Amino acid sequence: MSRYYLSRFLYDLKMNDGMLQKALVNLDAAMADYDLTEEEKEALRAGDPRCLREFGVHGMISLYLKRLDPKFQNNIYWSQK
Amino acid sequence: MPLVAAVAASHAPNILLEPGVEWEDFMDLHFSMAPQGTSSRPTFEQQQKLRRDAEEAFGILRAELQRANPNVLIVVANDQFVNFFNNVIPTFFVTLADEVKGQFTRHKFHYKNHKALGRAILDAGIEKGFDLAFGDHIELQHTQTVPLYFLLREPTIPILPIYVNTWMDPIPTPRRCYQLGELIRAVADASSERVAILATGGLSHYPGTSRVGEIDTEFDHKLLQTLREGRGRALADYTKEQLWQAGDSEFLNWIVALGAVGDAKASSTFYLPDLVATGWGFVSWKL
Repeated sequence: MSRYYLSRFLYDLKMNDGMLQKALVNLDAAMADYDLTEEEKEALRAGDPRCLREFGVHGMISLYLKRLDPKFQNNIYWSQK
Repeated sequence: MPLVAAVAASHAPNILLEPGVEWEDFMDLHFSMAPQGTSSRPTFEQQQKLRRDAEEAFGILRAELQRANPNVLIVVANDQFVNFFNNVIPTFFVTLADEVKGQFTRHKFHYKNHKALGRAILDAGIEKGFDLAFGDHIELQHTQTVPLYFLLREPTIPILPIYVNTWMDPIPTPRRCYQLGELIRAVADASSERVAILATGGLSHYPGTSRVGEIDTEFDHKLLQTLREGRGRALADYTKEQLWQAGDSEFLNWIVALGAVGDAKASSTFYLPDLVATGWGFVSWKL
């Protein structure tokens, strides 16, 4: 378990636009910059933030996984912090 | 000057989002965290009514603030992974910036920060064995900007953001938050400034958890009744677990304000469960 790196990945989706753009283009390449287990990478690829709870990540940082979901990319929520 | 005004208000993003498309976006996202994937959704008319009612409540609070004519507004709120993250989560943090900025959708916010008052609170805390974290830069987020939009849209006076960790366990005890409020009150009373305080957050909601959509209205009503009776001091006896269970960990921000107002009775209270996720609460105190 590496709660820090998984959380860091999600935090960067929220706060680091360059990293977000990279993840939108190639999720695996973006994940390679973080010290994630294969299990964690699989959870991120699955795209369901609810699945991240079991890794101990706060739900409101998990939510930012939805920035990679095409249905949510233009959601108004991302235009505030 | 003594503390001249105190108010508390929810900071839920949908208070400031526009009814209609923006609310639908907000609900889509939050219900993606709920186990059932969906929940009851207020209609457009219900969204509009909630917005009107919130504006009315904020109008009362704004009038109370303006009547008190403060020249600084302390804003007690929680960070939500903007300024603080798993690297460091300060239990309490005082802002020593010269100015503070932030943005909420198309709304931009830019205030002077009352650094001298922040420093006075830090110094007084250190003298009393209450060592607070501090720093020279923060970015404002919805936990401050949503209430500030309605209460201090124009930056006519400086603010002073103070943060309480209400989200990442271990959170502080209600008793400790009350003591921080007492410390702030002592500094305000010794200051030459006319100090007002705004606490934000709550009331009951379960952000990011499998309980998204639940609102413990019974607990919230009890809180507000206690405030109307001027018995806020008793709420410092709550355990952290009681607040977690009720979805009211952000009430810790309010408890800081309670420590500042002491036994003053809340003069106006409003409670608006938003039919989405949060019991919106709005309170002002006559000091």
